[in-house]
Amino acid sequence: MMPLSAYLIMSAILFSIGVVGVLIRRNPLIIFMSIELMLNAVNLSFVAVSSKLDSADGQMFVFLVLTVAAAEVVVGLGIIVSIFRTRRNIDVDEMNTLRG
Amino acid sequence: MTNLSVLVLLMPLLGFVILGLSGRFLPRGAILTIAWGACGLAFFFALISFISMLGTPAANRTADQVLYTWIVSGNFQVSFGQLFDPLSAVMLMIVTGVGFIIHIYSAGYMEHDDGFWRFFCYLNFFIFAMVLLVSADNFLFLLIGWGLVGLASFLLIGFWYHRPAAVAAAQKALVINIIGDFGLMLAIFLIFLNYGVLNYVTNSNSAAGVFNLIKPGSVGSGVSIAIALLLFVACAAKSAQLPLYMWLPDAMEGPTPVSALIHAATMVTAGVYLVARAHPLFELAPISLDIIAAIGGVTALFAATIALFQLDIKRVLAYSTISQLGYMFMAEGAHNYTAGIFHLTTHAYFKALLFLGAGAVIHALSGEQDMRQMGGLRKRLPITFWTFLIAALAISGIPPFAGFWSKDDILGSLLSQATTGNSALFYILWAIGVITAGLTAFYMFRLVFGIFFGGYRGTGYAKRSEEDEDEEDEEDAQHTAGNRLSIHEAPAVMTIPLIILGVLSVIGGLVGSFSLFGDPRYQPLANFLAPLFSDVGAINLAPTIGIGWISTGLSIVAALLGIFVAWRLYGKGFAYKESKNPLYQLLFHKYYVDEALAFVIINPIRWFGGTATSLLEGGTLDGGSRGIAWAFKKLSLGLRRLQSGYVRNYALAILVGVLLIIIYYAVRG
Repeated sequence: MMPLSAYLIMSAILFSIGVVGVLIRRNPLIIFMSIELMLNAVNLSFVAVSSKLDSADGQMFVFLVLTVAAAEVVVGLGIIVSIFRTRRNIDVDEMNTLRG
Repeated sequence: MTNLSVLVLLMPLLGFVILGLSGRFLPRGAILTIAWGACGLAFFFALISFISMLGTPAANRTADQVLYTWIVSGNFQVSFGQLFDPLSAVMLMIVTGVGFIIHIYSAGYMEHDDGFWRFFCYLNFFIFAMVLLVSADNFLFLLIGWGLVGLASFLLIGFWYHRPAAVAAAQKALVINIIGDFGLMLAIFLIFLNYGVLNYVTNSNSAAGVFNLIKPGSVGSGVSIAIALLLFVACAAKSAQLPLYMWLPDAMEGPTPVSALIHAATMVTAGVYLVARAHPLFELAPISLDIIAAIGGVTALFAATIALFQLDIKRVLAYSTISQLGYMFMAEGAHNYTAGIFHLTTHAYFKALLFLGAGAVIHALSGEQDMRQMGGLRKRLPITFWTFLIAALAISGIPPFAGFWSKDDILGSLLSQATTGNSALFYILWAIGVITAGLTAFYMFRLVFGIFFGGYRGTGYAKRSEEDEDEEDEEDAQHTAGNRLSIHEAPAVMTIPLIILGVLSVIGGLVGSFSLFGDPRYQPLANFLAPLFSDVGAINLAPTIGIGWISTGLSIVAALLGIFVAWRLYGKGFAYKESKNPLYQLLFHKYYVDEALAFVIINPIRWFGGTATSLLEGGTLDGGSRGIAWAFKKLSLGLRRLQSGYVRNYALAILVGVLLIIIYYAVRG
């Protein structure tokens, strides 16, 4: 077995890549992909720790996270499609009509 | 003795209340009935009381009737009552008598005025206030009457309230009179501190009055001087002496009957009455009487010099009033209170007559008051002319008219005070009195010649100085001076009062003293008032025959000289030449007193008020509330920038928050 820290560091690196992707990219689809990446990084760390502790709790939690991720993607993609239909443009920087 | 003072007080009060509440809806006849009735009944009751007093022996002539006990606080009591004694009887007769005559005259003068009911309402109120002042038996109600009389004068001077000049004059009168009221209040406080009571003499409610607590012939301490001088401040304000005289010439903005009643016959004499009434307080501090005499003398001369060159006929009469009041105070300063009261009565006759006559002239010329626009009116206004002439002779001190006897009384007692007391002050005052008599004769006859002699100089278009612009309805067509033929004598309702006052100006002096002609027992007025002034010390009031003739002779010579000079200069009519002589300019502009006051007192106060307003109200209050709004606006503008609308900014903010929490927990360990 590899040491647990390797899995956790891997999870941290994936999470950071996901965060940077959310902050930097302008295309909402890429942002969603980054969010998925963050969620899956967390799934990885859950599974690694549950395997180490010999407890099934972590793996049960992964089920829940996957379900939530799927539902969120459905709703998010629906919103993006509807935005595209009205504005023909999905650049996130152009979506600032809620400014104060 | 029948003492009907209560009714004398109540009648005008009823008239005022009824007219005040319902006068607007009443027809002219009803208004006149109520107003004339109130004042006439007041005069009638005063007359009955006076006659009954004449019938009682001299020792019993004081009656102090307490009507209502108002304040009871331990040993201290203030009650409202009326003191009916010879002095108040004389004052009541003058106030109600001359007041009634002027009520009759006003019916004609104010005939075309929309505020007819208001005028008579205020007139009745004035009579009520004046009766309250002269009949009150304690200092507190004297003060109340004093203030009410000031209020009545404010209402009547500012009667034509659409005219800014009238409103300004009314405010000036009220402000200056309030200075006097303040002096009177301080004096009353000191009297209460010193004597513990406020009523004049013993009455049913109080064992001893202020005057009973003063031993005749004693000399008081500094407090007595303070009381006397503070009382005199009140008198100076009310009776227009230096330095509080400025309101009286401006008060000529009111209708002429008001000038006659208030500023000639009655209200301004309240000061003279107060000195006579409170004479024990003044006798306690003899130096105060010297001061009073000196101020009276200076004022008399000062006002006479101003009157020499004025062009508005009412202004000349106003300054003449101030000058004659100075005479009265000179007499009282020489301890001869009877002479002061005597001159008060004769002055009431001829000064009211002068003002009413001037009013008749103004009425005939539809509002013209400038002497340059008059002339040659003696053929058209005969009754006015003859009565005016009688009054002018009376005020100049020509025998046998009323003014001669009273003015002579004053000058004689001044000279005798000077010679027996060897007092330089009274020599100077006597000289001032004689000179002023000459000046008085001069300016009065300048007025007579200017108005009634020579040719008519008017353009025919009156400047409407007294009428409101709204009054130009068709009723005035008959009074338009555009057509010279329409200058006609006043109606009977105005000329009959003139004639009555003219008769009084002729015979009114006969209650004076004939001691000049060798009969010292004949002095009816002095004998009538003598019981009141029995505590005045052994100062020689009545001059010896020699002194008397010197004084009388010189004053007659001065008066004749004044008339002669006026005749030489103006006998053919008034030719107005404005002279560049600086002395003339000084007198013509009334010594620039008003301008000086504006510069020294009024403009700084205005500046201060304006600055304070802009600082406190504009800067602090206004600026404070606007400043709070500004602060919130700035804050809001700043916070607004957080809401950029960019999703990525929000994501960054979330990240930063998470990092802070992680750091916090990591540091906490």
